Amino acid sequence: MTAGRFVSRGVLALVALVLLGAGALAADTPRRGGVLRVGNLGEPPALDAHWTTASITETLTNHIYEGLYSLDAGNRPIPMLAESHTVSRDGLTYTFKLRQGVKFHNGKEMTSDDVVASLTRWGKQSIYGKALFAQVAEWKVVDKHTAEMKLKEKSAIVLISLAVPNNFAAIYPREIAEKFPPEIKVTEYVGTGPFKLAEWKPDQHIRMIRFDEYKPRGEKPNGYGGGKTAYLDEILWIPVPEVATRVAQVETGELEFADDLNLDAYDRLRKNPNVRPLVSKPYYWLVAVFNKKEGLMTNQKLRQAWQAALDIEPIMKNVAGGKSEFYRMDSSLAPVEITAWHTKLAGLPWNERNKEKAQKLLQDAGYKKEPIRFMTTQEYKWMYDFALLTKQQLEDVGFNIDLQVVDWATLVKRRNNAKEYDVFTTGIGAFYDPTHHIYLTSSWPGWTTDEDILRLQAELARETDPKKRLALWEQQTRQFYEKVPVIRYGDLFGLRAIRNTVKGFNEKTERIRFYNVWLEK
Amino acid sequence: MTPYLLRRVLALVPVLAVVVTVVFLLIHLIPGDPVGVMLGPDATPAQVQATRQALGLDRPLHEQLLKFYSRVLRGDLGQSYFLDRPVTTALLERAEPTLVLTLASLLVAIAIGVPSGIVAAAHRGSAWDRLLMLGALLGVCVPGFWLSLNFIYLFAVRLGWLPAAGYTSIFADPVAALRYMVLPAVSLGFSQSALIARISRSCMLEALQQDYVRTARAKGLSQGAVTWIHAFRNALVPVVTVIGITTAILIGGAVVTEIVFNIPGLGRLIISAVLRRDYPVVQGVILVTATAYVLINLAVDILYVFIDPRIRYE
Repeated sequence: MTAGRFVSRGVLALVALVLLGAGALAADTPRRGGVLRVGNLGEPPALDAHWTTASITETLTNHIYEGLYSLDAGNRPIPMLAESHTVSRDGLTYTFKLRQGVKFHNGKEMTSDDVVASLTRWGKQSIYGKALFAQVAEWKVVDKHTAEMKLKEKSAIVLISLAVPNNFAAIYPREIAEKFPPEIKVTEYVGTGPFKLAEWKPDQHIRMIRFDEYKPRGEKPNGYGGGKTAYLDEILWIPVPEVATRVAQVETGELEFADDLNLDAYDRLRKNPNVRPLVSKPYYWLVAVFNKKEGLMTNQKLRQAWQAALDIEPIMKNVAGGKSEFYRMDSSLAPVEITAWHTKLAGLPWNERNKEKAQKLLQDAGYKKEPIRFMTTQEYKWMYDFALLTKQQLEDVGFNIDLQVVDWATLVKRRNNAKEYDVFTTGIGAFYDPTHHIYLTSSWPGWTTDEDILRLQAELARETDPKKRLALWEQQTRQFYEKVPVIRYGDLFGLRAIRNTVKGFNEKTERIRFYNVWLEK
Repeated sequence: MTPYLLRRVLALVPVLAVVVTVVFLLIHLIPGDPVGVMLGPDATPAQVQATRQALGLDRPLHEQLLKFYSRVLRGDLGQSYFLDRPVTTALLERAEPTLVLTLASLLVAIAIGVPSGIVAAAHRGSAWDRLLMLGALLGVCVPGFWLSLNFIYLFAVRLGWLPAAGYTSIFADPVAALRYMVLPAVSLGFSQSALIARISRSCMLEALQQDYVRTARAKGLSQGAVTWIHAFRNALVPVVTVIGITTAILIGGAVVTEIVFNIPGLGRLIISAVLRRDYPVVQGVILVTATAYVLINLAVDILYVFIDPRIRYE
């Protein structure tokens, strides 16, 4: 090869590289505009973040409203509408400084009046708000941009409670927070978020449009928080109840994003060059919740027998459609993604597969083959599947399981009545603090009233030193496997699908968010 | 005929009263609670109780029933727990998609069913007869759900000819509305055409064996004239009855089709309302559906007079 040829080829290669780079750069450069169509399971029961724990409400309202705090990529609290906070030396007074110049969708500036009114309402209705406000002695306005919270006792849960995305401490204008009593859902939707509600046509769509006066934080995007930019003109949330239709619509391009898909669609989506399947983690850990107020399962030995008998991996594999991408074997009560609280404890009696131990425990419990009413639903296929496989495994060691299949509405109602069941199925999502694990409380169905468990929960709520809290949490995890208030199965993951034209989507958060997302031309 | 019509319309009142009462009792007596669904699975019993009170669900059942009656008499079907709007508004919003789907699928069903039945009868025992009746058998046997999903896969995902699902109002964009309606109308119409085809065939066979048909043939009329002019009109009464019943079923909401093709009609509304225990909406949809059933049956009875002049209502 001559020197001239070598040079000209080199120049060509350089030009090609520059062009390719420019192309890649153009694809990675956010652009404003476009309508993003998202297919989801159904209608939210409300667009009032304080009012319901429904996850669909959580997803939608986090685009419209914001709280004082949010969660970073490690699921730790970071400021959102708060500028900063200080804590008094005795740990009993939190003073929150608010960001200035933040506007609501109605043009009004957000002030501490709005914050105090909103959190007062949230404290009476939200499960997280109630837990926090049980510790609050006084909550008041100091000046236009400062609010103060005085506590009855030291608390570890102030910031995390204000940051959790579910049933969250959304800030509404004061007029709205005071107009709607906590038990009545808000029907005027005004927040400070990057998108505002334009239209809600039930069973057709919820249309959100960009809030042009949105004032983002200066930081980079971080988890659920940090800087948020609304590049999209609109987000159209389209309820598509039939999951096969959601899959087809994201394949044809009628939707840009489809949530909550069946795992059996994974292979088909992988073959489509225009679509990318996303495995959503964490989704749920599967759980069988015992009725500890009344009936057979008040017997701890019987609960331990259930725990000892289970061979969890085949159950998880089956529920995940045989695909290892969709389940994880883990005994920690907090999923891997909640880094601060994920534990790696050895020697826990989880996934023991020990038939002899189970049979011995059944004998010690004095169990005489009385039927155990195990309530599940087919509305969530994974619940029915794991209940059915559990029944088979338990009957192998001598249990008599009466599997009762009902619809979800019936299950949710019946599980509040101690006379109607012995065990029920559900899923445990991400809890961001040890005190939020509702199955360790006496008020949640199944009613964990064990004094030792509740004492540790109370200590976890008071203790503010992170190291001591982690030690307490590890102690609580060991205690969990001894007392067996519920059965922890494995982690199950969800499936979503996204068109290749959607850019900037954060795949790491548990729930979907479409700020910082843009559409390629 | 007027006294007859009046009697029929008046008979609507007790029918609706019974239907509404039975539905009210059934939906309230089955387990499940709208408040539990609304507040989410992690709501505390105290929250659930407070919301039940706010919605009046803590009142005795007979009190709720009487309140419901008094509202219905004033033309008020109540407020949906979930949709944040009066039930009447929700019903009106859902009426258009359901009516459009009903008419479109009915057209498809009649266009396939009636000619198939007639041709099969006119060529009884032939390959055509067997082929058409096999098609009808498939229409009855193949689950609508399966057929719809395969239509979507073939015509939307693989071929890209039509949208997979969705709905646009015919008044907003007629062309888009038509594109959205093709797959649901054809899949639903094909299933419904099966019954119409089988009834048409058997009625035509009966008519073709009558003396007047033999007379017509003896007069030297063509096969077409005998079939379509003489036999068909006489075979039409049961066919119209079946079409009437089909229409009534479709008005009540083609549940599966509306869900698979994501059409926001009455069928989808009632399913979501039952699952969420949105009692006022369930009652509202049932009331409208029951009224439609009775009125469509009445319309069919009146049609008989025009089809067959021998029929008289005294």
